[in-house]
Amino acid sequence: MRRRLAHLAVALYPLGFRRRYGEEMHAVIDDSVPRARSFIDLLRGAAAAHLRPPAAAAGTLDAPEVIRGSASGILACWVLFAFAGFGFYKTTEDSSFSGAQHAHLVLGAAHLTVQAVAVLASLAVVAGALPLILAALWSAREQPGLRRLVLVPFAAVGVFAAVTALLVALAHSRHRGAGALDRAAFTAWALTGALCAATCVIVARRVLFAVSVQRSTLVGSLALGTLTTAGMIAMSIAALAYTVSLPAAAAGLASQPNGPFRLLDVEGSLVVQSVLMCAASSLALITTRRGWSAVRS
Amino acid sequence: MRSIGERSTDPGLLVLTSLAEGPKHGYAITQDVERIAAVRLGPGTLYGALSRLESRGLIEALPADDRRRPYRLTPSGELALAEQLESIERVARTGLERLSAAGASA
Repeated sequence: MRRRLAHLAVALYPLGFRRRYGEEMHAVIDDSVPRARSFIDLLRGAAAAHLRPPAAAAGTLDAPEVIRGSASGILACWVLFAFAGFGFYKTTEDSSFSGAQHAHLVLGAAHLTVQAVAVLASLAVVAGALPLILAALWSAREQPGLRRLVLVPFAAVGVFAAVTALLVALAHSRHRGAGALDRAAFTAWALTGALCAATCVIVARRVLFAVSVQRSTLVGSLALGTLTTAGMIAMSIAALAYTVSLPAAAAGLASQPNGPFRLLDVEGSLVVQSVLMCAASSLALITTRRGWSAVRS
Repeated sequence: MRSIGERSTDPGLLVLTSLAEGPKHGYAITQDVERIAAVRLGPGTLYGALSRLESRGLIEALPADDRRRPYRLTPSGELALAEQLESIERVARTGLERLSAAGASA
């Protein structure tokens, strides 16, 4: 089991790194005594290789592959960002927050910025992904293996929509406060969402590397991905401004318990969400810059 | 600035030291490092170090034998290793001399 996990962890390394060192790493894992620490060590190594890819592995990828990797990386960051952004939206959706946002300029401007930019960035994601989805569907007509792969994200979205509908139906049928059943349902919904999102991102990346796409289409998608990255950065700054301003502007709201589990107060939740947003934006910026470096090369 | 203690267990330095004996593949390096320094390099740490050293031109890959690819020191790798070891040795020698002088005067 430990050895299997270690082999799976190698898949988390960047493509260029895997091409250059992957086979050797699998051989070392097979030769060594399997340890739990190896898995952690590989996770740490994979993160480092993504953040600072070694020059020795760079030569194994051509420019279109780097652009593909960059586009799928931006999508992954967007999905992570969307989770944190959804949390931000749910935390600040009550009417008491609307009142505070009307009364305080920074809160109001920050909230409006997050909402407006979220719409624009979502449109950029759809516009950037659409030509690639169409190219994948076109290629899938003649490749049964690719056809099955292309169907997976649609199935994942369908599953998530069904589970969300169930959660909404449950919420409408029960008018009491958050009980054990509500918390279990929310946990199941959140886990399903994370699983479906991860499936979509991984499969989208595999499909993107499997289909033939013109360089101009890839560059166009990267340009729209760049707009998405800019949007994420703008929203992160706005969310940070909101988080910093809330305790001074509305101390009562900031200290309210938040979420179905009441583990954090509102301010604590906003800090976690802002940190996640900033992390996703930073990773998106790194992968976007990498993509443009490949376009210029 | 990293301490001497940190430098002496730096994965890059340990890999270079192991390769000073001759070309070795990944698993052989981990075995050798465990023997000479009692440090167990995980696969992530090992290949992080190998990729950095290769990028800096301090080691080079030889033709692969099945899935195992041996590495060897380049001339610049030998030079860099010698410089680092001399630096560590200089500090260690000074430290030991000062300790024995302090012991003698006490």
